[in-house]
Amino acid sequence: MAQDIKPTRKNLMEIEDRIDLSERGHDTLEQKRDGLIMEFMDILDQSQDVRSGLEGDYETAQQKINMARAMEGDVAVSGAAAALEEYPEITVESMNIMGVVVPQIESTKVKKSFDKRGYGILGTSARIDEAADAYEELLESIVLAAEVETAMKKMLTEIETTKRRVNALEFKLLPELHEGKEYIDQKLEEKEREEMFRMKKVKDKKEAQEEAADEAAAAESTGA
Amino acid sequence: MSASGPANYEYVVARIRHRRAGLFGDDEYRKLLRMGTGEIARFMEDSTYKDAVDSLASRHRGMDLVEYALNEGLAAEFDALLSWSEGRLYDQLAKYLRKFDAWNVKTVFRGLYSHADTDAIRADLVDAGEFDAAFLDELLSADSVETVVDALSGTIFDTYLEPAFADYEDEDSLVPLENAVDRAYYENLNPSQPATAAQDSPEALYAEFLTAEIDFRNARNALRLARSGVSVDPAAYFIEGGTLFEASEMTTLVERQSDLVSRIQDSTYGDELSTALTALEESDSLIGFEHALDRALLSYSDHLSYVYPTSVCPVLAYVLAKEREVDNIRAIARGREAGMSEDEIQAELVML
Repeated sequence: MAQDIKPTRKNLMEIEDRIDLSERGHDTLEQKRDGLIMEFMDILDQSQDVRSGLEGDYETAQQKINMARAMEGDVAVSGAAAALEEYPEITVESMNIMGVVVPQIESTKVKKSFDKRGYGILGTSARIDEAADAYEELLESIVLAAEVETAMKKMLTEIETTKRRVNALEFKLLPELHEGKEYIDQKLEEKEREEMFRMKKVKDKKEAQEEAADEAAAAESTGA
Repeated sequence: MSASGPANYEYVVARIRHRRAGLFGDDEYRKLLRMGTGEIARFMEDSTYKDAVDSLASRHRGMDLVEYALNEGLAAEFDALLSWSEGRLYDQLAKYLRKFDAWNVKTVFRGLYSHADTDAIRADLVDAGEFDAAFLDELLSADSVETVVDALSGTIFDTYLEPAFADYEDEDSLVPLENAVDRAYYENLNPSQPATAAQDSPEALYAEFLTAEIDFRNARNALRLARSGVSVDPAAYFIEGGTLFEASEMTTLVERQSDLVSRIQDSTYGDELSTALTALEESDSLIGFEHALDRALLSYSDHLSYVYPTSVCPVLAYVLAKEREVDNIRAIARGREAGMSEDEIQAELVML
């Protein structure tokens, strides 16, 4: 690659500017990568907690609904579920963590008081209430897990991208630029040396011509 | 089967004694707890559910077979009870078994509301009440909740459903209809004892039993309201006919759960429910307390059946015991299907 560059002083200055910019970029990206990793570790801890909570909530909800189905019947449970008057809603906003845009999911109308669940109170048992409670908990955990795990995936992608950029700068671009700079330096020095040698030769030649001219003039004047 | 003439307590009780001996006991439940759903169905084939399992086995398998066989077995059993009963006994029994009519009406409402398949709704019906198969088919063929409400005119649910239907149309919620159906059932149990009956007569004890059932239902709902912390008028969820508390007291009791618990503790049911009430204060779940109520009702009905062996009491005790057997087998089968442990399933069973 280095051989492709014209070894001119202008190119040398350009390469020096690019090296300076790349080194600054490398430092910044390294800091960003480290920062992202630290944020990622925090989110990872949170995600593990949320995930284990989610699994627990899922098991509880399944157990409660199985027993509700066993005691109240399938149609009663699905009828109670279908009788819901207000459906849960989610709103998605975005949040910026070190340049990474991650979603912030807010859920509303997930938890309901049992007079808003749509099924009769007088003849039902606490089983359906507890199954509904457990599923409301589960739904909230799912929303939280979606938020945290999406953030985690986005952070991971960004860390990977940043890592690739840092590596590209560190192991590809900067070595090539340094190589190019060295090549131009060498070529310029070589050119300088050649120029000096040439100048010296010209000077020697001129001196030799002058000497020859002087000698010819001296011989002429002696002959005359 | 006739509602007129003298009651034939002796005949029905004699037949029930025999049936009662065939109910599943601890040993059977222990065996069932170790079985899968297929094995449970096979085990049921060797019991009183044989006919139901045989007739359904070609169409269903696994949990469905168990569930449908249980419903069919229960319906056949209670139909038989009604067919043996005569006179006042028939009246008393039919009135009590209307709980299945209420269940069927609610199931049809729920099925129509959730646009469930007719076969799925039919599978959850229990043909053990007063409504015959033709009437249930009429309800099932209804294309809207309004048609079902119209079809129920002339039944005990009629006057309760009329105002509830207006609320249903306003709110587009099944709550008023379901509450109306349950209220119609409980308030028509009419536990008030005849003025002429002596304090310890079978009639008085029968009334006491029905009162206990209504009281337990009110206690259960009051505790659910207290736990939920919602700001609704608790009196709207009160069922008349109990003695535990009045509708006017319910608001105060629901606001302070400790007062409600003390009220139950100080009542005639206090001794029977004391352990459950203590556990209730420490636990988040009401299910244990509901089990204790079911157990207390079972035990009370059993006690009455020994005090008055030739009255409606042994018949009602058998009805409760049979229902509990069905609930227990269903809980075991569902629990096994869901992979629950033996201990978890055992906790859901109510046994005496």
